[in-house]
Amino acid sequence: MLLKPQSKWTWLVAAYLFLAGVGAGAYITGVVADWLGGEWAGIARIGVVLGFPCVLVGCAFLVADLGKPENFWRAWMRPNTSWIARGTIVITVFMILGAIHFGFWIWPFDSLVDADGARQAIGLLGAIFALGTAIYTGILLGASRPIAFWSTAMLPLLFLVSALSTGVMAVIVGASFAGGAEAAIVKLGKVDILLIIAEIFVVIFYLQGTHRVPESRASAKLVLVESVAPLFWIGVAGLGLVLPLALELAGAFALEGTGPEVAAIVASISGIIGGLFLRQVVLAGGIHAPLKAGRFEYALANT
Amino acid sequence: MELLVKGEVIMEAQTATKPQTGVKEDVWIPTSCGGCYAQCGIRCHRVDGVIVEIEGNPDSPAGSGKICAKGSAQLMTLYDPHRINYPLKRTNPEKGVGVDPKWERISWDEAYDIIVTKLKKYLEIDPRGGYFQATTVQTSEIRFAVIAFMRAFGFKNYWVSGGGLWCGNGAHFMNGIMHAAWSIIPDFNYNNYTLYFGCSKGHGAGHAALQTAQQVADARARGMKAVVFDPYLSTQAAKGHEWIPIRVGTDGALALGLINVLLNELDLYDAEYLKLKTNAGYLIQPDGHYMRDEKTNKPFIWDFVDNKAKTFDDPTIKDYALEGKYTVEGFTCTPAFQLFKEHIRNKYPLDKVSKITSVPVSTIRRVAKEFGEHAQIGSTITLDGKKLPLRPSAAIFFRGSQGHVNSGWTCLCIDLLNHVVGAADVPGGAMGHGSPVCHGLPETGKPDTVPYACEDGLMVVKGWVYDHKPYPLRKPAPPTRLDLQDMFPCSVYNAFTICSPDWEKYLETFKIDYRPTFMVNFGSNSVMTMGNAQEVTENFLKKFEFIFSFNIYNNEFTEAVADIVLPDSCFLERYTPCVTFPSTFCHPTGIDHWVWQIRQPVVEPLYERRDFNEVMLEIAKKLGIEEKYYDAINKVIPIRYGGDMSEKYKLDPKKQYSWQDVCDRVLKDRLGDSNGLEALKKTGLVKWPNKVEELYWRWFVPVRVPIYFEYFIEAGEQLKEVASSFGMPEIADYNFYKPLAQWNPCPSHTMEGSEYDMWAFCWRPSFHTQSSTQNNPWLDEISTSDPWVYLIQINEETGKKKGLKDGQMIWVENPVGKRIKGPVRLVHGVHHEHVCIAGCHGHWARGTPIARGKGVFFDDLTECDLAHTDSLTQGSDTCAKVKIYACKEKE
Amino acid sequence: MRYGFVIDLKRCYGCYSCQVACKAANNTPRGVDFARCLQGETGTYPNALRQMLPTLCMQCAEPECLKVCPTGATKQDEAGIVTVDKKLCMGCKYCMMACPYGQRHSVPGWSTYFPDAEGELDFYQTYAKGRWEERNGYGIATKCDFCKDRVKEGKKPACAEACPAKARYFGDLDDPESEVSILIKRERGFQLNPEFGTEPSVYYLPAR
Ligand SMILES: Nc1nc2c(c(=O)[nH]1)N[C@H]1C(S)=C(S)[C@@H](COP(=O)(O)OP(=O)(O)OC[C@H]3O[C@@H](n4cnc5c(=O)[nH]c(N)nc54)[C@H](O)[C@@H]3O)O[C@H]1N2
Ligand SMILES: Nc1nc2c(c(=O)[nH]1)N[C@H]1C(S)=C(S)[C@@H](COP(=O)(O)OP(=O)(O)OC[C@H]3O[C@@H](n4cnc5c(=O)[nH]c(N)nc54)[C@H](O)[C@@H]3O)O[C@H]1N2
Ligand code: SF4
Ligand code: SF4
Ligand code: SF4
Ligand code: SF4
Ligand code: SF4
Ligand SMILES: [Mo]
Repeated sequence: MLLKPQSKWTWLVAAYLFLAGVGAGAYITGVVADWLGGEWAGIARIGVVLGFPCVLVGCAFLVADLGKPENFWRAWMRPNTSWIARGTIVITVFMILGAIHFGFWIWPFDSLVDADGARQAIGLLGAIFALGTAIYTGILLGASRPIAFWSTAMLPLLFLVSALSTGVMAVIVGASFAGGAEAAIVKLGKVDILLIIAEIFVVIFYLQGTHRVPESRASAKLVLVESVAPLFWIGVAGLGLVLPLALELAGAFALEGTGPEVAAIVASISGIIGGLFLRQVVLAGGIHAPLKAGRFEYALANT
Repeated sequence: MELLVKGEVIMEAQTATKPQTGVKEDVWIPTSCGGCYAQCGIRCHRVDGVIVEIEGNPDSPAGSGKICAKGSAQLMTLYDPHRINYPLKRTNPEKGVGVDPKWERISWDEAYDIIVTKLKKYLEIDPRGGYFQATTVQTSEIRFAVIAFMRAFGFKNYWVSGGGLWCGNGAHFMNGIMHAAWSIIPDFNYNNYTLYFGCSKGHGAGHAALQTAQQVADARARGMKAVVFDPYLSTQAAKGHEWIPIRVGTDGALALGLINVLLNELDLYDAEYLKLKTNAGYLIQPDGHYMRDEKTNKPFIWDFVDNKAKTFDDPTIKDYALEGKYTVEGFTCTPAFQLFKEHIRNKYPLDKVSKITSVPVSTIRRVAKEFGEHAQIGSTITLDGKKLPLRPSAAIFFRGSQGHVNSGWTCLCIDLLNHVVGAADVPGGAMGHGSPVCHGLPETGKPDTVPYACEDGLMVVKGWVYDHKPYPLRKPAPPTRLDLQDMFPCSVYNAFTICSPDWEKYLETFKIDYRPTFMVNFGSNSVMTMGNAQEVTENFLKKFEFIFSFNIYNNEFTEAVADIVLPDSCFLERYTPCVTFPSTFCHPTGIDHWVWQIRQPVVEPLYERRDFNEVMLEIAKKLGIEEKYYDAINKVIPIRYGGDMSEKYKLDPKKQYSWQDVCDRVLKDRLGDSNGLEALKKTGLVKWPNKVEELYWRWFVPVRVPIYFEYFIEAGEQLKEVASSFGMPEIADYNFYKPLAQWNPCPSHTMEGSEYDMWAFCWRPSFHTQSSTQNNPWLDEISTSDPWVYLIQINEETGKKKGLKDGQMIWVENPVGKRIKGPVRLVHGVHHEHVCIAGCHGHWARGTPIARGKGVFFDDLTECDLAHTDSLTQGSDTCAKVKIYACKEKE
Repeated sequence: MRYGFVIDLKRCYGCYSCQVACKAANNTPRGVDFARCLQGETGTYPNALRQMLPTLCMQCAEPECLKVCPTGATKQDEAGIVTVDKKLCMGCKYCMMACPYGQRHSVPGWSTYFPDAEGELDFYQTYAKGRWEERNGYGIATKCDFCKDRVKEGKKPACAEACPAKARYFGDLDDPESEVSILIKRERGFQLNPEFGTEPSVYYLPAR
């Protein structure tokens, strides 16, 4: 019996999961930077400004994936029916808070930028919902109980760590465009080292956890040695983890002068792409449990 | 075969005669399915002129309201835009496998013109070179136009596709002799134990598919055990109690091994049955012939109570001797049974049988014991006040086991198991399929198919599907047919002559003073269904000057060799007066009703499609031979549909009839004045109760069947004499013409120790009909997702030993270098020495683009020559010794 | 009242008749089968076994598909039949991921069964397309509804009607006297993958 992976959710959904993660991560980075203040002010602004639009674009991908995009608004109509509906509310609240927070930095509300208390209160609330958004993308997949590869507590954790890591990276890239924050970029790069190391551990634990049932074993096989393997090894492990880690380590401990920040920027771009691949790898590796009748097992036909 | 299809499929944008618009309707119309030859009763849902659904007709005992995948899917065939809708003319003079005929659309007038002009010429010069080739699938249609036209025109060459060769030469012949029937099937109502030898009965293919599926499910639920001998874990094996893998083509030997255990080890047999219902007690002289009474010429038996020889039907017989030696009129005579028993003991010891079949000796012993014990010899049952033997054991067979060099004998060997334990046409036993004995509709007494005894007491069938009955045998005489069929005593069809490169040599040797001229082809896709496509086409089909073909698709046949193609209506668009009779295919055994069904158009033929029977009648009229045509129909009816025609409804050669008139008269003649075509259009059928004496007829009809084939001796001698007179005695192996059951190997069995280390064979999925249904998108969809049907299955261990991976493309090559290619599937459900290929797929015709390139074409591995032919029945060998190896990239 | 199916694997011989009858009755488009049959092999030669598993929507009492549906399009009626409201569904495919039995389908649009043919759709497909659009549609989730409409007319579901082996029984699971309830009790009826806690209304009777 050959178990086949699901084929209904593809790149559009991966892009959504990824962008929601990046946006949430960037926003959290921004809020934290805002609390730190001082040299972090520029970073804070970039983080917050990136946060909500990323999620919004992500949602656009999700809507594009819908069979009936014109009915997308119905997702808000039954908040108590499902976790998915509740998650939609979380994202929505995040986007509203993010948008307000974003407003603090843009005209005509930029005069409010000095209202520290209000801004940081919104930031705190927003960060909570951002955290929710990042975790939710994992919960969303986990709601598919017959797909053991998704239905594990490790997945929200993995998506959270990846969200934070790619969020930080997005901020680094953003900051490099805005210019003038080299020192912060280098520091962020160091933070990212920790996040990447954490992510590596989470990925390992995540895959290690797949041994329990045949369908997740099949998923792991698919991801590690079969059709999804190139994407995993090159896209996720290479571009997403090893290369950024190596570059950032090099930047932090080896390179002097203008080197470190270039390394951090290149690492970030690579890591961000890796984040997208991670979502796609998880989606493409999703395999439904076989049906069992007596001694027989059957692969689902419609996946 | 490697086949490159060149050119693209060009589909004309076609404008159909729109369904009657404006008509608001929502009706169900009863008719008969023609998706395979089970002919189930169906009803078609027509909404505003369009057929939108097909269901089983709950009123019909043929199907009892059920429908199979092929049946439901037929509406996709009705409306398939790839159907042929207009007469077509070949413009490319080149003929051959894979050639593009470059069809040109012509009018019906032009088509008639071309055909009639050609045929007129042949009619004048020499009509004998004509040939009719028809498909087995549209089985009810062929009895009228085909036979009537041949007789009216004056030729004898006729052939039903691969049918016969593949599935009937041995089986129908032996079943006709032993059961007055087309085939045999367990009496699922009472059976407890059945041995399946290469047949699916009750599992999709085979006969009366839907009711038997239900019956076998009931029986299984009740605890009936099926032990299935098959190289493949087929559906029947999967559903059976036990699957016993067997080497292809060796079933006859296995059956003899089982009989050996019953007779020589266990002493388990039904002596009463053998004495009264067979020739087991007939006394045999040392020369092998019956010891006959000089006065009456009747065979003697030995009455061991009175201690004297008496004629077999002497009313004073007290008891028959089955064993011993007796001196009669100076000769030492032995009862046939004694010879039979000794013959099997000496010739088929278990270790030898095991070596041939690959079935372990212990398994043979166990199964024989189980079979014998389940027969409950001596037990009885009372049904409808009649006390009958109860024998809930059966051994059945069909296409799989019969398609080999030992075809005829294998069928007999298996069936003898039933006769040894008295389980023939009695409750629980092996039944002549379709209840061969019919007393007819009470009002008319027709169809009447009660067999009778010949002088020697042996059974002669009354109604039969072929002109020539299975018994008495045809007397070998100088041949007149192009395939020499009529020289052989038991042949139905015969491919080794016509499909071999030696055909011309055969014709010359046997002084056939005419040559093939034209062929009418109805459906038959003989390029794919007879054997190796290239051989069939080059050696046989290309020898015709002119071929016109009726088809619903352009298939491999029309594209290779047809000059004119006529757009036939499909079974949903035409009239057929008799579809469930002869009851060969559609009457399941043990149902309580007979049914006479018709077929009627559920929509008017679309586009310019026309009914084959109508068109052939029209051609006959245009040729001016319609008088003979009507006369032939008058003569055919009594043979095929049991019972003479009444004067009132005989076709008057002086009159003109339409096809519908013919249908109407046939129906009224068989079923009475009130059951003409108009009446049957409303109900689709007439049914009446089936009686115990019909169903379990064996002990009600005073006939015997042979276990000792005395008359084969003479048939063999006569054949040899005729063949020798033409200088070609080697045309048959006369060892086959012996009175006692035997097994002979196929060429594949005698090729030991070579690199060709596997046997290739094929099986039939329930959701396809031979090569007919693969263009149906619903069925194709199933096949594409089914894990076995479009693949080559081999045993996983064997595959691994050969370094093959699941899904990989492999070549399967036979010893003469013909090879086929396909993806391999490694499974556990195939005998480890075998290569298992499904159905008749792997199409290449441009006319069936959905079917094209899907699945694997098995027949290219088979060979048509004398070595691969049964010398007794001229059936074809359908197994091949092969080697398999991985396909290199881009091969 | 809770409608249910019993599929007797002892009787089923894997003929796909249910699959095609369902297709015909529900005019499902290419590639979509509400009554999907699966083939399986187990064991090692010569003790291998094969068995088909005919599937359809299990009309779960605790449907996973319903639990994840964010729009309320997935509903369950009093007879336990789970349906999709085509007006509400947004086609997010969550239900397809969540259904443990692979019984949800979404169709992007009608694609002809005869891709090699030019011109308009044939008469049957024109009809089928119209019916599909009327009863289901594109982009949304679709599924077996136990042939609700046929049942209302007093007929059996199409797949049960067709099954040559009479392996499919349809009836009321809540009624302890019904054929289905009796069969489940008497013949060790079981549900597929009970570990998901979905409480399917389709029961199977063991093959051996
Ligand atoms: N590989 C392989 N070969 C086989 C077999 C097998 O199992 N496997 N089986 C063998 C056996 S047992 C048999 S009986 C033969 C059968 O061999 P055939 O009699 O040749 O039967 P089919 O292959 O079904 O081809 C029948 C043709 O009839 C056409 N047809 C269908 N309906 C109609 C109709 O209404 N009118 C007209 N005019 N044509 C129609 C179809 O388009 C199809 O091309 O095949 C033999 N060959
Ligand atoms: N669905 C469907 N039904 C049909 C038809 C169809 O095409 N499709 N065709 C009709 C026709 S024309 C015919 S002749 C009948 C045929 O009906 P069946 O006789 O049932 O024919 P098959 O399925 O071809 O073969 C039966 C089994 O024989 C096995 N087999 C092959 N070679 C051997 C052997 O040497 N020994 C043994 N023991 N087994 C062997 C195969 O694996 C297969 O499982 O079906 C009729 N009914
Ligand atoms: S078994 Fe044959 S005749 Fe009966 S419904 Fe199926 S295809 Fe038609
Ligand atoms: S129709 Fe009946 S026998 Fe055929 S596959 Fe479906 S459930 Fe099984
Ligand atoms: S089988 Fe799937 S689609 Fe049907 S009710 Fe259960 S979860 Fe929902
Ligand atoms: S696809 Fe439709 S039915 Fe399924 S979860 Fe989404 S909204 Fe609900
Ligand atoms: S109940 Fe109706 S919709 Fe469901 S699988 Fe059966 S035929 Fe199809
Ligand atoms: Mo056949």
